[in-house]
Amino acid sequence: MIKRLFDWLKQPLGLIAVGIALLTLFSLAAYGINYTQQAPAQPVQFPHTTHVGFGIQCLYCHPGAAKGPAAGIPTEAKCWGCHNQIAKTETSLLLAPLKQSVESRTPLEWVPVAQVPDFVQFNHRAHIAAGQNCENCHGDMSKLTVAENPQVFNMGFCLACHKKVAGENHELLVKLTDCGTCHY
Amino acid sequence: MIRPEEIKMSTEETGKWGMVIDQDICTGCQACVAACAMENNITFVGEKDSGYGRSMHWIRIERFWEGEYPEVKMTPNQPMLCQQCGSATCEPVCPAFATVHSQAEQLNLQVYNRCVGTRYCANNCPYQVRSFNWRDYKRPEPLSNQFNPDVTVRRRGVMEKCTFCIQRIHKAQDTAKSEGREVVDGEFTTACAQACPASAITFGRVDDPESLVSQLARAHGHGVKHLEELGTLPNVTYFKGG
Repeated sequence: MIKRLFDWLKQPLGLIAVGIALLTLFSLAAYGINYTQQAPAQPVQFPHTTHVGFGIQCLYCHPGAAKGPAAGIPTEAKCWGCHNQIAKTETSLLLAPLKQSVESRTPLEWVPVAQVPDFVQFNHRAHIAAGQNCENCHGDMSKLTVAENPQVFNMGFCLACHKKVAGENHELLVKLTDCGTCHY
Repeated sequence: MIRPEEIKMSTEETGKWGMVIDQDICTGCQACVAACAMENNITFVGEKDSGYGRSMHWIRIERFWEGEYPEVKMTPNQPMLCQQCGSATCEPVCPAFATVHSQAEQLNLQVYNRCVGTRYCANNCPYQVRSFNWRDYKRPEPLSNQFNPDVTVRRRGVMEKCTFCIQRIHKAQDTAKSEGREVVDGEFTTACAQACPASAITFGRVDDPESLVSQLARAHGHGVKHLEELGTLPNVTYFKGG
């Protein structure tokens, strides 16, 4: 039975079938990997580059980063604080969802991009207080439009930095490489 | 068979966080059990699985029969939780290094993302305080909104146990650091100690002689550490008949 199958596979038609199967598998894998690496669709094609270009600090819109675990995504009220004074808001097609959101009083449902799994307890405050800048993890936002991740937030990425920061300080190294610091 | 007196006891005090539980004032009301479940996202396994012995609690109130029938008495209520042993029996048996000792906080950790569910640790725990997630238990609609965001929601096939509310320890340390000071004794406490209406549970630093737990242990003088003869160096002290 198996021998007959191999014999069939060795003839030209069989080889083509094997080739097609391998190609299908490869393209499916490539598509799947590419799909997971894409930034999610956002309600507004928010141009980070413009806002950072104006010199607006990260902490103006994401103030939670300095105070607590989550950096936070601004409400449309915060956007409107500036945008209701800008004439372009009325006409811009890009800003139509914001205008509609404010008028209908329905929140904009932003999709978080930089996320860690549920079993990781990340605290922004500690990192900002330790002198880390936003771009160390989130990349240079002045070059990005819609937010996307510059790198995968896996444990190797976290630990490489933790070890570098701790350096020769043994007590700090113990704290920063302790499982219970992030996983509980 | 090794007799208790033959065991070499490590006299090194390794504990950092500890607890004292006064069994004389514990009323057995189970408020700690409920508070622990709320704080730590512990699932409700339901009647059927409880019957199979799969109930999940990080703290439970134990009582035993004492004496021969008909002179049977109940022992005092004994809240039993992970003793956060300094030399824990659960740790060396884990093949995945999922239950490891925290060098920074001197606690026994359970790293959920490492756990592969062999259950060796639970079988090796002399206090029987570890619980295993046999299933993913669904929470009916309003209850699904009450998860504590600071604690991982465990999934099926993972062992879990009391963490001494490590999320509260971290929160207190974070708050203290942001205000540029050290954590003050009594600034925070575990969910069980906070919920206890009789204040039978006290939590704090055992390595600080001025903390409330150390003072209580000194004042009582007859504190008992359960199964101490096994050399586990537990960090929970029980008072009885004071």
